Amino acid sequence: MQSASSRQFRRADLFFLSPWILTLLLFWVFPIIASLLLSFTDFRLLSSSYNVVGLRNYFELFKDGVFLRSLLNTTIFTVGTLPFTTIFAILLAVFLNQRLPLRRLFQSVYFFPSVVSMVVIALVFTTLYARGGYIQLLADLVGVTPPANGWLFSELTALPAIMAMDVWMATGYYMLLFLAALQSIPAELYEAAEIEGANWWQKLRVITLPHLKPMLLFVVILNTIKSFQVFVEVFVMTKGGPLNSTMTMVYFVYEEGLHKFNVGYGAAAANILFLIIAVISFLELRLIRERSA
Amino acid sequence: MERHSVRGLLRLSIAAVIGLFFIAPFIYMVLAAFAESFPLTGRIDLTSYSFTLRNFAELFTASQLYIPIINSSIIAIIVTASNLLLCTICGYALARRDFKLRGPIMMSVVLVLMIPAHVVIIPMYVLTKWFGIYDTYLALILPFAVTPLGIFLMRQYISGIPTDMEEAARLEGASELTIIMRVILPLCKPALAVLAVQVFLINWNSFLYPFILTSAESMRTLPVALALLQGYQSINIPQLFAASLISALPTAILFMIFSRRITEGIIAGALKG
Repeated sequence: MQSASSRQFRRADLFFLSPWILTLLLFWVFPIIASLLLSFTDFRLLSSSYNVVGLRNYFELFKDGVFLRSLLNTTIFTVGTLPFTTIFAILLAVFLNQRLPLRRLFQSVYFFPSVVSMVVIALVFTTLYARGGYIQLLADLVGVTPPANGWLFSELTALPAIMAMDVWMATGYYMLLFLAALQSIPAELYEAAEIEGANWWQKLRVITLPHLKPMLLFVVILNTIKSFQVFVEVFVMTKGGPLNSTMTMVYFVYEEGLHKFNVGYGAAAANILFLIIAVISFLELRLIRERSA
Repeated sequence: MERHSVRGLLRLSIAAVIGLFFIAPFIYMVLAAFAESFPLTGRIDLTSYSFTLRNFAELFTASQLYIPIINSSIIAIIVTASNLLLCTICGYALARRDFKLRGPIMMSVVLVLMIPAHVVIIPMYVLTKWFGIYDTYLALILPFAVTPLGIFLMRQYISGIPTDMEEAARLEGASELTIIMRVILPLCKPALAVLAVQVFLINWNSFLYPFILTSAESMRTLPVALALLQGYQSINIPQLFAASLISALPTAILFMIFSRRITEGIIAGALKG
C-alpha cells in the first residue's frame, strides 16, 4: 500500500514537471545538440543537400575578418561600457541611499529606461544621434566637432555612440542591484563610524565599498554576459555598419546564419559565442563559491 | 537646521537634474509623436509647436498598426497566464515533493537560466520550421510557456510557505492538483504578481525571437513592426515615435502601478545565482 502510493506520487511529480521537461528537451537540449551538429556541416537552408565538413567552419571563422571584427567589437563594447555602467550605478545607488525627498520616485525614473523596449530606445537615439540632432547640439556646446554624417554613420563614432546609449539605459538596472546591497548594510556600522568621527569618504571606503564587493563581482559578470548578447540596438541603428564597425557576435550569427542562410557557418559562430559565455558563467560560479567558502 | 535644508535642497536639485537626464529622451519621443511638423534635424521648435493626433491616426489607416498590437497582446497575455499556472505547478513539485530526479531537474532550471537565448537562434529557426510552427503564434508561445526564471521564483516562494494548510487539505482527501489550485495558488499572490509583471514586460518588449521565428507581416509583434517600419518611405519620424509611444505605454503604466513589484522581481531574478 505504502509503496503503491509513493510510486503514484512519483508519477504525479513527473507529471507536474512535464511542462518544464518538455520545454527543456524541445527548446534547449535539442537546439543545442542541433547547433553542434549543424556546425560540422555546410548546411544551407536554400539547398537540400549538405556535406559533413568536420571542423572546417571553425577554422574558416578564425580566418574571417568580419567574424574577428565582431569578436573585437564585442570585446570593445564590454570593456568600454562595463566600467562606466558600474561606476555610475554605484554612485547613483549611494546617492539614493541617503535622506532625500521623493526618493522612490527618483529611483523609478532612473530605472525606467531599463524596462522600455530596446527597439523603442534605439529608434529614439537614432534620431538623437542624427546629423543636426540634439546630441550634436550638446557636442557643439562643449566644443566637440561631430562627424559630418551624424554619429551613427562614421566608422569611428558608431560603436561608441551605441555603447553610450547602452550605458545610459542599463545604469538604472544595476543601480537597483547596488541599492539592494547597500540597504543590507547594518545602520549600526555607520552610527559607530560617526561616533568615531569618520567623514563621508572614510565611511564610503571602510564600510560601503567592502560591503558592495560581492554585488560588484556579480554585476561585472552579469554585465559581461549581457554585453556579449548585443543585437537589437545594432539591428535598429546601424545593421553592423559602417564597414562592420558595429558588427557584434550575435549580429554576425544572425547575418551569416539567418540572412545569408549559411546555417552551418552561423551555428559554428553561435557555438563559439556560447563557449565564451559558458566560460564566463563558470568563472562566475567559481568566484561566488570561493567568496562563500 | 539652516545648513540642513540647504543641503537637502541641493540634493533634491541634483536628483532632479539626473532624473531629467534619464527621462529627456522619452519627453522628446512624446513631443515628436504629437507634433504637427518635424524638422529634418529632429530638433523640435517649441515656439511654433502645435499638437496633433494625426500621426496616430495615420498609423492605423496607412500602416495597419493594430495587427502588431493585437499580436503582441495575445502573445504576452497567453505566455504570462501560462507561466503563472505552469511555473507554480513546477515550482510546487520542486519545493515540496521528494523524488529521485528533483536534484537534476532543479539543476537544469538553474543552468538554462544562465544560457542566453541568443546562442540558439539558428537551431530554433531550423527546428520551428521542422516542427511546422514557424510563422505561427505557437512558435512565440510554446518556448516560453514555462520559464526557468518563473520556476525558480515560484520554487523559492513556495519553499517559504508553511505546510500546515496543505497538510490539512491532504487529510481531507484533496488531490495534489486540488492542493495546488486551491491552497498554493492563492497563497502565492505576491510572487505571482512579481512574475506576471516580469513575464508580461519581457514578452511585450521581446524582439529577437519574434523577429527570427516569423516572417509574415501579419505575424509581426509590435517591437518587430517598429524595427522594420523604420526606414520605410511611407513612414516618417513622428509616426514612428507615435508607434514607439504606443509600444512603451503599457510598460509605463505597469511601471507606475507596479514599480515596487518590478523592482522586487528584478532583484529576485538577478540574485538567483
